[in-house]
Amino acid sequence: MGMMGLVWQNFRSGFKNYLSLILSLSFTVLVFFNFQNILYSDAFAVLGSRNREYIGILIQMTSFVLGCFMVFFIWYSVSVFLRQRKKEIGIYVFMGLTNQRIGRLYLAETVLTGLSALGLGIVLGMLTAGLFQMILLAISDLAVEIRFVPAIEPIVVTAVVYLSIYLFFALMGYVNIARSSVLGMISAAKRNEYVRQSRGMLFVRAFLGVWILGWGYSLALKEGRSSVMGNAFGAVVMVTAGVYLLFGGLIPLVFQTLAERKHFLYQKGRVLWINSVIFRMQKNYRTYAVVSVLMLCSVTALAMGFAMRGRYENIIQFENTYTFQLLSSRPDLDGQARALIERVDSVAMSSRIQMLSLDGSLVEAREHYSKYAFVSYSGLRKLAKETGMGLTFEEPGEDEVFKISHLYLLSLITGRSDVEITIHGKSYRQTGDSSVPYLGYLQESMSFYVLNDEEYEKLLPLGEVLYTYNYRIEDGKHFEKVRESLDVLVEDTSEHNTARVAIDPENHELDWVKIMYSICIFMFLVFILASGSILFMKLYNDAFEEKERCRILRRMGMDRIRLQRAAAAELAVAYGLPFLVMGISSLFSVGALGKMMFTNLFAVNFVSVLVVFGILACWYVLSLWAYERNAGIGR
Amino acid sequence: MNKNPVVQIKNLVKDYGTKGFQTKVLKGIDFTIEKDDFIAVMGPSGSGKTTLLNILSTIDQPTMGTVFVDGQEVTRMSNRELSKLRRDKIGFIFQDYNLLDTMTLQDNIALPLSLGGVSGRECVERVEKLARRFGLEEHLKKYPYQLSGGQKQRGATCRALITGPEIIFADEPTGALDSKAGRELLECLRGVNENGQATILMVTHDPFCASYARDVYMLCDGRMICRISRGADRKEFYDRIIDMQTSMGGELSWG
Repeated sequence: MGMMGLVWQNFRSGFKNYLSLILSLSFTVLVFFNFQNILYSDAFAVLGSRNREYIGILIQMTSFVLGCFMVFFIWYSVSVFLRQRKKEIGIYVFMGLTNQRIGRLYLAETVLTGLSALGLGIVLGMLTAGLFQMILLAISDLAVEIRFVPAIEPIVVTAVVYLSIYLFFALMGYVNIARSSVLGMISAAKRNEYVRQSRGMLFVRAFLGVWILGWGYSLALKEGRSSVMGNAFGAVVMVTAGVYLLFGGLIPLVFQTLAERKHFLYQKGRVLWINSVIFRMQKNYRTYAVVSVLMLCSVTALAMGFAMRGRYENIIQFENTYTFQLLSSRPDLDGQARALIERVDSVAMSSRIQMLSLDGSLVEAREHYSKYAFVSYSGLRKLAKETGMGLTFEEPGEDEVFKISHLYLLSLITGRSDVEITIHGKSYRQTGDSSVPYLGYLQESMSFYVLNDEEYEKLLPLGEVLYTYNYRIEDGKHFEKVRESLDVLVEDTSEHNTARVAIDPENHELDWVKIMYSICIFMFLVFILASGSILFMKLYNDAFEEKERCRILRRMGMDRIRLQRAAAAELAVAYGLPFLVMGISSLFSVGALGKMMFTNLFAVNFVSVLVVFGILACWYVLSLWAYERNAGIGR
Repeated sequence: MNKNPVVQIKNLVKDYGTKGFQTKVLKGIDFTIEKDDFIAVMGPSGSGKTTLLNILSTIDQPTMGTVFVDGQEVTRMSNRELSKLRRDKIGFIFQDYNLLDTMTLQDNIALPLSLGGVSGRECVERVEKLARRFGLEEHLKKYPYQLSGGQKQRGATCRALITGPEIIFADEPTGALDSKAGRELLECLRGVNENGQATILMVTHDPFCASYARDVYMLCDGRMICRISRGADRKEFYDRIIDMQTSMGGELSWG
């Protein structure tokens, strides 16, 4: 039999072994393909060019994250597969094959597996593309007609990205085998020997892990301006490394210490599961670390989805505070404007305020604009009273300002303390900011600062005094008619100028945010499915190793219930520890997200962690059932 | 001396296979093990030694007959009762040690006590005492992979003895050991038996191993064909076992 014949025979006879690898790889291909398909399809064209552009950017960013996920997932699957196969193919050493030939054998089998996964993933991807778009749009609450037109580009992009990553790791496997010692290959599966690690090494790892993790957490929450992206990247690297060292150091150290306290160990059946955990931790700590990081990605994606959804609704509400806003040099437009509106509809809410517009050359602030607007504290207090919005801050001092700004979707500038603004040579300290929509949509396009009444009066001669007149109409259907009738007020003469801002209550400019929400939910599902399935597969395989141990214990008179309890405790540790690490880390990752959104996301964080807990609980029950069955202690 | 029966077997029959294609492995065995006995069961391959031991260990059911362990009829017990019986009344020594590779020797020995609800302090004390007796006190912190075959088997013997069971079942206990380690183990077993600490039933094909017992039962083709008892001299006992083996048929495979 030639080498290809041997490869084919191995592939066919060991198909069951390959199946889990093929399925897990095709899952990543399917997910990646679906996103590429959206990018190349015209599904979102009807939402308008701005939405389409933003959605395109979103999908590209998501594809990048999924690409990283693919790198990681392929690396993980291929290395697990290599470990499994190494012993088996190592037997060929006794048949006189060189390492290189064995390596080529492995490479050929791996490539066959990879291609099968690619084919399966793309076929499944094409079959589910319509469904995927439908779900995405349904979650996003968007009414777009679904049509799936098979295109060649998403297939090519998916295949190129996947194969580049896959072949790279397959080649690494080849190099690994070619450089392996014969003994290493045939004893690859027999790694049960080093159960307990040296305490010194564990201490070093534990110390490094806690330190690096703490560093990562502090980077995540660090406020900054241009450094935020760098900090975020640093936090991701640090937290990943820290979690890895935590599972490789601190956690085994804790369990080994527990195992040495015999009076504690010999109570309540702990001797069984604590020793098992130590044994498994030594073998599986990388998996637990990986699962923790994946869960962290998952919970952060979910929290982001929830937060985006909430923020989208708030922004829509914010923008629609008023339907029309007039910005004029005339102090007496209110009666006229109101009369024009009331010809068509009635006014549901209105307000007016005087403001001072200063040229950008007179002001030095963190954000640079051509014009800056200032209002007096008493003017704003009057407006707040008229609209019932309420004023939540005290009058600024003579060298203080208070900023009224808008709701950010996400901002990469998180440092907001110690901000100063200089107006005509005098420095003012910004005491805080508010996103209450006192001036509605205008707050989105201009920065407003609230000044002490006396300071405001002093600055009046430096700039232009303008008046804003804000109205919300009763019925949004009359929007067009009211806009037309208000057009008569718009003027731009040397004496006066009046501008009109109209906010269509039915506008869909922000629909792309809804897609972002759905993508976050989708990413959450991808990550949680991946982490759950990695743990499940690991425990599923481990259970076969436990079979012999359980047989011995049953022979010694351990009843099944006691063994089931020990298994339940061991699996609870396997799921609980990554969950715990994820839960703690999420306080920082979601906290960082909250900083970028200028809000406290603790409630969102809590709910997201709870959702993850629910899903993991299902995985746990499923794993326990499979574990008991495979270990021969099931009912 | 007033002796109590620990194990009683009456008319034990075991068939394997489906109806019409049955093989009789045990063909009606009767015997009794009394307290402080040290019995070796010998027989050629296929004679039914392992089947007998499995039934006595309560991990297999007889087709017919009854087995009493410490006065309780095991053939009528529920699985839960059997587990309890195995945990409290029976100790096992296996040919391949069956120590759990995930725990230290100390934890392995303490396991039956710990799972039986004995306090941690008592577990530690009893393990240390027994380990001293078996020359294992230096090795308690080691994992099975760090121990020699002899040390592992002595550890497994400690585990079997730790709960003070009514009877120890040993299945080819020296089968995987070199002659020196085998002799050391057998000396230990004889020691605990002579001190009144253990009643032992040992299955073996090795006449040397069997010569450490007080009585040897010969099993052939599913029947107990004879019993030889030791006199004062172990060497002379060994010779008699060899003679018996020869008379039963040298062509039989004794493994």
